[in-house]
Amino acid sequence: MSNFYNMPKLPTENSPKVEIFVDDKAVMVPGDTNLLEALKAVGIETPHVCYHPYLPVSGNCRQCLVEQEGPRGRMLVIACYTPVTPGMKIFTPASSARVKNARKATQEFMLVNHPLDCPICDKAGECTLQENYMEAGQNESRMRPEYGKNYHGNPDHQFIDAKGQVRGGKHVDLGPRVLLDEERCVQCDRCVRFMRSIAKSEQLQLAGRADHTYITTFPGEKLDHEYDLCVTDVCPVGAMTAKYFRFQKRVWLLSHTPTISMDDSLGANIWLDHADGRIYRVMPRCNPEVNRSWLSNTSRLAFQGFNKNRLPAMGFNVIKSAMGEGKVAVVMGGACTIEDMAAARMLKDSMGDKVELFGGSLLKVSEPDGIAKSGDPCANRAGLKLMGFADVSELLKRAGEFKVLLTVNADLFGEDAAAAKALEAIPSRIAFSAFNDETAKKATLAFGIKHWSEVQGTMVNNLNILQKLNACPVCPDAELRPAYDVISELAGKKFESASAAFKKAGEYASVLAGLSYDTIKSTGKLLEGGEA
Amino acid sequence: MARVIKQRPMNWIERLYIFECLRGLFTTLKHAARGLFRYETLPTISYPEGQPEIRHTYRAKHRLMLRPDGTPRCVACGMCAAACPAHCIFIEATQSDDPRIEKRVMRFDIDHLTCVFCGLCAEACPVDALRMDTKKIVFEHRTREEFVAHMSDLMDWDPKDYPEDAQSQMAPGGTKNKQALETWGMEVK
Repeated sequence: MSNFYNMPKLPTENSPKVEIFVDDKAVMVPGDTNLLEALKAVGIETPHVCYHPYLPVSGNCRQCLVEQEGPRGRMLVIACYTPVTPGMKIFTPASSARVKNARKATQEFMLVNHPLDCPICDKAGECTLQENYMEAGQNESRMRPEYGKNYHGNPDHQFIDAKGQVRGGKHVDLGPRVLLDEERCVQCDRCVRFMRSIAKSEQLQLAGRADHTYITTFPGEKLDHEYDLCVTDVCPVGAMTAKYFRFQKRVWLLSHTPTISMDDSLGANIWLDHADGRIYRVMPRCNPEVNRSWLSNTSRLAFQGFNKNRLPAMGFNVIKSAMGEGKVAVVMGGACTIEDMAAARMLKDSMGDKVELFGGSLLKVSEPDGIAKSGDPCANRAGLKLMGFADVSELLKRAGEFKVLLTVNADLFGEDAAAAKALEAIPSRIAFSAFNDETAKKATLAFGIKHWSEVQGTMVNNLNILQKLNACPVCPDAELRPAYDVISELAGKKFESASAAFKKAGEYASVLAGLSYDTIKSTGKLLEGGEA
Repeated sequence: MARVIKQRPMNWIERLYIFECLRGLFTTLKHAARGLFRYETLPTISYPEGQPEIRHTYRAKHRLMLRPDGTPRCVACGMCAAACPAHCIFIEATQSDDPRIEKRVMRFDIDHLTCVFCGLCAEACPVDALRMDTKKIVFEHRTREEFVAHMSDLMDWDPKDYPEDAQSQMAPGGTKNKQALETWGMEVK
C-alpha cells in the first residue's frame, strides 16, 4: 500500500533536463520526476486510472504500462512509478505493439465487471475509463451472455436485477454528502489515499480481497470531512458521486468558467460549471501553487446560495444625493476585486479628504488547514493592503467622525453584530451588496450589485499571487452592475470595462502597473516581493 | 454530374397553341369525370375524410415504452436530447424509488412544433424507451403550449395497437404483461 513517501515528484520550471529515448527518438525531459509526468511534459499522454499527481503513487491499475530497455531486455514497467534516469530507452504504443496490447488487456480486464451504466452515470463524459477505452481499449466484449457481468463485492449489498443478473451496491450511503456505487468502483484506491494522505483522516478503506474488494467506511462510521467531496473529483469512475449534483445535469451540457473562490484569502482556483443561467456545481481548478486539486466543501457548496436572497438593482441618483453631507467612510469587503478598489480610490480622488477608505472583515481569522484554505475569510486582504485601504477595525474606533457609511460587499453587521453596533452611530448607511444581508437590512439605502461569481476582476491571495476572476453568465437580474461600475460612476468617471479599471489600479499600486489581463496566466501571476 | 436532357423542338401544330390547350382541358375534364363516376380509382385521397395508410416504420409521434409495472423505461440519460438536431427534447432526472433502478425520468417533454421527425432520438435511445411508431402524424391544437407533448401524453398508448411487437405487449394491458411482471418482480435484497 501507498504511503506519504510515495508522493510523486512533479516537474517544475527548474527541473534539470535529461535526455531519454522515447520510441528511439531522443527527447529532453524533466529529470527529477516520474516517467508519466516526464512523457506528459513532452506531449505524450499516458492513460492512467490510479495515478494522481497530488496523491501518493499506488501503482495498482497497471494502465500506464510502457516498455523499458533494461539489462534483461525490454520489460513492461508502469510509467507512474518509474523514475526518469538519463539515457533510458522507453517505448510507447506508438512503436511497441506489446505495450499497446498490454494496455488493451488491462483495460479489458478492468471492464470485466464494470456495469454498463454510462447512460445513467454522472461521471459519463469526464470518466477516465471512457477515455482509456477510446484510446487503448475499443475491444469487443468477450463476456458471453450466460456469464454476464457480476458483482462480487459486499455480499450485504447484492441483489438480482430484472434481467436475473447479480448486481450490487448501487447507492451505498457513505455520509451526508457522498454516495458510493460499489459496482462501478475499479478499486484504484484514490479516495482511500486522499483521505489518508491529504485529508489526514482515514475514513475510507478497501475491504475484502482481489475480485471481492470494495470501498467502505469503518462499521458505524460515516464519511464526514471538510474535504470529503474531493473524493468525487479524484474518483476516476462514477463510483463516488456527490449528492448535491446527483442526476442534476449531464456533464457535457455544462459550460465552465474559470474563476477564484472569494471566500478565503487563499483564493482557491475553481471552475464554475453552469448551464441554463444557473451554476450546477463548482469544481476545483488545478493550481499547483495554490489549492492543487482540492477544494473545501464550504467553498464548493457556497454556490447554492449565490442566486438566493439577492438585492434588486436600484436607481442611481438616490445614492448621489445621499453622499452629499459630511465625511464618508467606504468599507470594502473581502470579496471586492482590485477593480472595485480602484474605483473606490477614484471616488476618494474626486471627493477629496471627505472620503476615507477602509477594508476587511470582522470575521475571526483561523488557522490554515494546509489543503485549500488559509483560514482568513477576507479573500482579498492582500489586495486591500496593496491598494492602501485601512483596516476596518480602525473605522470602529473612529465611527463618530463619519456621516455616511458606504459598505461594498462588506456584511459588517452579519459578521459581528456586537462590534458593528458602533457603526449604527453613522446616520446615513449605504450598502452595496449582492445579498440582502444584515448590513443591507440595517442600511438606509441598499443597492444591489453583481456577486463575485458574475464579475470580471482580479484578486491578490495571501501568497501574493495575482489571480483573475471571470464572469460567469448566471446573473439573475440584467439590471445588476458590478461594484466597480457603480462606484466609478459615483466618482464621475465611469470605467469602460474591467480591464480599464485594472489599468487604473496600476496607478495606485506600483506592482500592478504594466500588467494587463493577458499577462495573468490561468494559474495567476506572482507579484514582486511575494514569498510563495 | 449534371445530366442534359435534350428537348424535342415543338412542331407547327403544337406551336399553334390552341390544340395543346384543348388537349390539356380534356385531361382536366377526364379527371373531373373520374372523380364523379369512378371515385375509387383516383390516385389521391380526399384527405380529412380519407386517412393515408401509414406503416409502423414511419416516423410519427413519439411514445415512451413502459416497463411491466407501468413506469417509463426511460432512464433520463439524455442521449435523445443530445442527438436531437432541433433541440426539442427536455429531460429532467431524479432518483428512482425502486432500489434496482438508479435514475428515473421526472420530466420528458417533446416540443412537436420544433421537432423535425428525423428519428435520431429513437435511434440514440440505449434502453429502447423512445419510439416513433404511433402512426399519429396529425397534430392539431389551439395553443403553442399544447404542442409540447408531456410524459403522461407520451406514455398514453394501448398495447392492442401494437399486436406484433413483443416489447409493447409487456406493458400493462399487453398479452405478455403477466409473464413479464413475474420476471420483473424478482426478489430484491
